[in-house]
Amino acid sequence: MMLARLNSATSRNSLYNWLSITHAGIYLILTFILLGSGRFPAYFLSNQYFFVDSLGAYEVLISSTIFVLAALYARGYVDGLLHHGEIDAGEIQLFYIALNSLFVTVVYAFFSNNMALFWILLEITTLLSAILIVTLNAKENITAALKYLFTASTAMLFSIIGLIILFAITKGANGGSGTLNWNLLMEQANGLSPSLLTLAFILIFIGFAAKAGIVPFHTWLPQAHAKAPSVISVLLSAVLLNIGIYGILRMYAVVHQTSAVHSISVLLIAFGILSIEIAAFSMLPRSNIKKLIAFSSIEHMGFILVGIGIGTPLAIFWVMFHTLAHALVKTLLFFSAGILHQQYRGNKFEKMEDALLLQPLASWGFIIGSLAVIGTPLFPIFLSKLFILEQLGSYSLPLLFLVLALFLLVAAAFATILIRTFSQKNGHEKIVRYKASWSMKLSMTLVLAAILTLGVYFPSGLSDILNSIVANLGFRG
Amino acid sequence: MIPTTFSEDLIKILFVLVLGTAALLIFRRTLKALFTIYAVQSLLIALIALVLFAKERSVVLLFVALLTIATKVFLIPRVLRRIQKSMHLRRDLEFRYLTPTSSVAVSTGLIFLVYNTFDRFLSEISNDRLFFFGAVIGISLCLIGMLVISTRKTMITKILGYLTMENGVLLFSIFIAELPFIIELLIILDLVMLIVLATILAFGVDSTIEEFHQKLNSFTLWFKE
Repeated sequence: MMLARLNSATSRNSLYNWLSITHAGIYLILTFILLGSGRFPAYFLSNQYFFVDSLGAYEVLISSTIFVLAALYARGYVDGLLHHGEIDAGEIQLFYIALNSLFVTVVYAFFSNNMALFWILLEITTLLSAILIVTLNAKENITAALKYLFTASTAMLFSIIGLIILFAITKGANGGSGTLNWNLLMEQANGLSPSLLTLAFILIFIGFAAKAGIVPFHTWLPQAHAKAPSVISVLLSAVLLNIGIYGILRMYAVVHQTSAVHSISVLLIAFGILSIEIAAFSMLPRSNIKKLIAFSSIEHMGFILVGIGIGTPLAIFWVMFHTLAHALVKTLLFFSAGILHQQYRGNKFEKMEDALLLQPLASWGFIIGSLAVIGTPLFPIFLSKLFILEQLGSYSLPLLFLVLALFLLVAAAFATILIRTFSQKNGHEKIVRYKASWSMKLSMTLVLAAILTLGVYFPSGLSDILNSIVANLGFRG
Repeated sequence: MIPTTFSEDLIKILFVLVLGTAALLIFRRTLKALFTIYAVQSLLIALIALVLFAKERSVVLLFVALLTIATKVFLIPRVLRRIQKSMHLRRDLEFRYLTPTSSVAVSTGLIFLVYNTFDRFLSEISNDRLFFFGAVIGISLCLIGMLVISTRKTMITKILGYLTMENGVLLFSIFIAELPFIIELLIILDLVMLIVLATILAFGVDSTIEEFHQKLNSFTLWFKE
């Protein structure tokens, strides 16, 4: 009867999975068509609460790519979880409902013109991702999800206070009708009081920074990313952190047109470097590979924040490229960690004996992912790191040296884990090899191919999109 | 329309009562009493919104008041009581970092801090004293809620702390600038979903995994509908 139940759950998983892949695939195709048409911006609803511009479309492109890959990977991964009893057969429906609802919410969030609506959708993504974290049968997941819910939602309350103040400022400046529509905020920015705008930005920053995993609001991140099923860790790291950064970037674009930009830039760079520092030091003693990858996400979000804080057109261009590169590399790392977790029933490197022999694809995926994430040449992150660091050097040479030293620590942390993990030899009993399904291997191969291609070939179409994003955000050379 | 000075005096009395409920939330230990205090606090804020509606005739305020009564006075306390029954938890006895008395003292300090900070900024938006007091008490309530989250140990009490923070934000928005009604509605709906999920997770911390997953699945069925 148990076997019959398992078979039924497996076939349900298969059906829901195909639907999810199709769902994300449709969005991916539509986004390509949208970006190809170049008819931006387009506004929707009479109050213009939704709009499509190049930045939103680009972020949806990244998100839908990651969702298609994650849905494909989930096919085999969820089957593995079912067989090991890590997820209940009854939870499959909940998992896929939450997964697809999360994707739709993410898309709408990126297409929100109204910042209050964006805030609401961001809160809903917190709810849905917390549900996805607790689908696993583990008490630690409930604690991780609760911490995530509390930290993110409490910080987001400060954001809504900031948005209310922003609404009041625009009401005062316009003599009656306030607005939180981003396009109107961009037009009216110059007429707003810089001191009040700074206060509003700082409050708004707290919530969005918590969602993006910026120190000191990052406390939920390592546990949530490590405890969640690997396919969900991919979405948390490669998509959801992006939404927080996206919100900060939109608000910074508004502030950038006023005299408040100087103090705000310093704030962003300070928090960015603090995040890199805390992440770098936290990575050194790690033995759990998923926690290592989670701290790496904090490090990269901090670096992106530094790029935004610098605020030159070139910095913003490469920040946007870094968003794409980071998303792909994190996907590869978590996919590899997922297969290794299924093989060794844990995430600690001490257990991973003969990994290169037993799981060559996952092992090489992890090695290549680690090289890519620290910014090794021939991988895409090298390009964005190089150019953003160059801009940082023009801004402040001591800060450049500090960040380089921290990156050295990060590289050392990854090198230590790689050497320790792949030198673990099996001296005892025979380990049964976990057979990763075709969908997991295919998704890993696809993301590996994308990373290797993007490292050596920069499509001209991508360059056009990124240039138009920089121009639309008001960062002109 | 009611006379301005009468409405202002009434609102000031309601402000004092709201602060009183915040103080009670800090040191009361019985969970049922805490839920009732929260419901009363929400009712007081709804009354403030109604008095302001009577004074300013802004329809959004009326809808916000009615929505607050429906969700925060009735629905959310009901959800909390249901979860509390299944958790078999009656009192939250332990305090962290601060005793109840020192928490009340810290809260008083926070109110003065907010008062001094806002004195510098808010005059650029409006010079109305009621507007200023509403903003100060709103943010103070928010910070007091954060204090409850950090000093109380039980998850249910932490949730009440979060709800207090949210009440503070609502009070702040009533005086500074009411957002469009659709936004207020979506924020409230989001809050209700958040509280239901948080209470299920809080239940999960104390119960078995099977019982937790049963509750989680029934939440999703409600969510699907």
